[in-house]
Parts: sequence; structure tokens; C-alpha cells
Amino acid sequence: MAKILIVEDDPDMVTALRIPLEANGYEVFTAVSGEEGLQKVKEVGPDLIILDVMMETTTAGFQVSLQLRSPDPKSEYAPYRDIPILILTAIHTTTSLRFGPDEAYLPVDDFVDKPVDPDVLLQKVRALIERAR
Amino acid sequence: MGLSQVLNCLAAAAAKVLSMEVATVLLLEETEDRLTVAAVYGVDARQPVGVQFVAPLTPSPVILVEDARVDPRGVPFPPDLVSAVCVPLGVEGRLLGWLCVYGPRPRQLTLEDGERLKALADLGGMAIQAARGLADLERIELSKSQFIRVATHELRSPVTVAQSLVRTVLKGYTGPLTEQQQEIFARVAGRLDFLESLVNDLLDLAASRAPELAEEEGPAAVNASVGRAVLLLQPRAEEKGVSLTVHPCREELAVWATEEGLDRIFVNLIGNAVKYTPSGGRVAVSLSREGETARVEVADTGIGIPETSLPRLFEEFYRAPNARRFDIGTGLGLAIVKELVDRYGGRIEVESKVGEGTTFTVAFPLWRPM
Repeated sequence: MAKILIVEDDPDMVTALRIPLEANGYEVFTAVSGEEGLQKVKEVGPDLIILDVMMETTTAGFQVSLQLRSPDPKSEYAPYRDIPILILTAIHTTTSLRFGPDEAYLPVDDFVDKPVDPDVLLQKVRALIERAR
Repeated sequence: MGLSQVLNCLAAAAAKVLSMEVATVLLLEETEDRLTVAAVYGVDARQPVGVQFVAPLTPSPVILVEDARVDPRGVPFPPDLVSAVCVPLGVEGRLLGWLCVYGPRPRQLTLEDGERLKALADLGGMAIQAARGLADLERIELSKSQFIRVATHELRSPVTVAQSLVRTVLKGYTGPLTEQQQEIFARVAGRLDFLESLVNDLLDLAASRAPELAEEEGPAAVNASVGRAVLLLQPRAEEKGVSLTVHPCREELAVWATEEGLDRIFVNLIGNAVKYTPSGGRVAVSLSREGETARVEVADTGIGIPETSLPRLFEEFYRAPNARRFDIGTGLGLAIVKELVDRYGGRIEVESKVGEGTTFTVAFPLWRPM
């Protein structure tokens, strides 16, 4: 059973993510801050990380992804560098046409827009875990 | 014109009026107990000059100094300036500051010289008052926009969480729903989606009114922006059975704007056209260059806009009666479009006939590299 770590400070958003994931057999772990997220990565060794951007600071999620993907070979997170990261974005898509992770700046693998569509979430989660294997 | 421009113009005009080399504008600070140099003409910020010279903090008559070296008033002057005319800058009997001009040589000065400078100072006083009023208004507008931005961000978050939760139920992840539950949750989802678009539109409107909140403007391609908007809206048009076509322009149409702003304009205009065109209808988007203008025309065969609604079309929250009956909407889209078109120096026109269709035309001045 694949393990998924959700790093998100809004408990209701965690619920909205957890329900479809658990309904599809994923084992879900949670953290409510960037700091706790990094700690849980080491504890749990997840197969995928779902990361909110705005938590204790407006860029806490980016900081987490930057730490996890640090190119420094001595980084304490080096063993976790290849865990796929799915980021939750709050940029509204009705009029904003350019969004999503920019590889030059943001070391993440894919994004899911808020409000989250559970079908889209599952599809992306499946694809990323598949790819990482 | 901003306050600093007004002050610089005033200093330059003062020096020219009396053919003197240096001019300063001194303004009373808010506490009214000190004068500071607000603008200098003719030398590099020769600040001590004016401040040393003009002591009176209340309206006083014109001060003439023909040769400071022999002036009995013992006015402190820098070595290279010896003559001066200073007049109070006032408006409605209130002292705002002083307007002073200086020369490097002794000079015979008459009361008429003082009067000529005073006439300019009276106009300058009014211009300063107007510029200050405008700056106050801009500050209020900006803080209003900032408030809206913070408020909408705070509103958006709970709305998107509620939408996400409702979707897990609606899509059956919490177990099967009865037909009635399904219908009720669908209505809740619909209301939340509307609330989300309202919050997004308010955010866009706030951003369009405060350039400080938006990306910096620069050359932006109209062709690419229209392409992105059509790509986004094509699925919606197909779903509705509305044909959405583009007549492109082979030339690159660059205008001075932001890509984000252009996208908002075209997503709103083309989105409206698709929305208010019933199944089987057509939406045609045409790009062209006319002289030094980039033109985009969005023509639909939709429900049209009643003539009585046309003058109010760009008002916030205004929606034409037939539009209200036809579909939901926030009534903010065209207000956003108008703000942005104005900001980029463009024009927007609309022609419409109820039951036949609507054509919006936007035109922007083309940007040319220097």
C-alpha cells in the first residue's frame, strides 16, 4: 500500500484530500507545518508528498520542496530526493492562464489546483507514484 | 501630473520668469514649524540656500535682495549667489511655502519683479493644492484595493476548502447518495462555485485598479494572449455546441500591458461571448492591425444587449435583464475589462442587437521597440 504524506495546515482541506485517497487504498500521513512535514518525511518515508504552499509563511511549501530537493550531496534529505512532490496551488484558473510549477524555480513534479477535484487528484497521484517506481 | 512634477515645473518657470539662474520651492511641513526644500532648479540640490534665507513661517510680503553682500538685513547667502526674489506660496490665505529665485550677480530689482513672481506663485499654489488632493485620493484608492486584496484572499481560502469537501461527497467518495442528496449537494456546489468566481472577480478588479498590485507592464503579445484564452474556452464552447473560431493576424501585435492583464481581458470577452450564445451559435475572434493600432474583435450570435443597458454595461455588478435571465454571472467581468483597457491606453466599443448578437472591439496602441 503506497504511503502519502499530506503537508497542509487546514484540517478541512486535509479531510478533503484524505477521503478520496483512503477510499482508493492509500495510507495517509499528515503534517501541519513545513517543519513537521520535513520531520515526517524522515519518519514515514512516503511514496508521495502532497504539499500546500501557504502555511506558517506564504512560501513554507516552497521551502520544504527546496530542502527536499537540495542538490547538496551531504543534505540530510538526500535519501528522499526522489520522492515525487505534488503541490497544492491557490492560483485561480478562471482567468489566470499561466500557472503551475516552473521547473527553473520550483522543484516539484505536478500541481493540483484548489478547489481540489478528487478525480483529478487521484489521477495525478497515481501517475506520479507509477512514474517513480 | 504628480506633486514632484508640479514643483519641478514651478521652479523652472520661476527662474525663467525673472531670467534668474537658480530657483527653489520651499514647502511648509505638516507641522507648519519648518520649511523644507521641495524642488530646486539650476543647481544640484543647493538646499541650505533657501532655508537659510526664508525665515517667515507666516504669509509675508515679497522679499527682494539686490546684493546680499551689502544688504543691511544681513541675510546669509552662499558666496556664489547674491541676488534674490522670494514670494510666499499660498492658497486661500494659507501659507504653503515660498518660491525663491536667485542670481549670481547683483541686480536691480523692482516691485514689479516681485509681482510677476507672485502671479506665478499664486498659480503654483493652486497646482500644489490640486496635486496634493490627487495624491490623497490615490492613497485612499490604493489602501482600498489593498484591503480588498487581503479580504478576498481570506475569503477564497474557506470557499475553496468547502468546494473541495463537497466534491468528495458529490463524486461518491463518502458512499452512495440518494437522488435528493445528490441534487442538494449539486446545488451547494453550484453556489460555492459562484462564490468563488465572485471572490476571484473582486480580486481581479482590485488588482486592475492598483497597478502596484499587478505585474510590471511591458511589451505583451496580443496574439498569444488571445490564443491562450481560446484554448481555455474551447472546451466550454464545444460542450455548449457553440463554434469558436479565430481569424489570426500574421503580424505580431505587441502592446504595452501585462500578459496577465491581456489574458483577463480576452478570457472575459470571449468567455462572455460563449456564455451568452445559445447552442448552435457562433463566436468569431478576429485580430488585425490598423495603422498603429492592434484590434481584437469578438463577435457572437448570442442573445444581444438591450440598448437601454449599453450605457451601464461597464458598471460594477450591473447585468442586463436578459443576461440575468439567461445565466448566472457576477456582473464584474466587463468592469474589469474596462479598467484594464483604459490602463493600457486602449479603447473598447460594443455594438449589439437583441436576439442577433454582440460585437466587442478592443483597440490598443501598438508598441514599437525604440
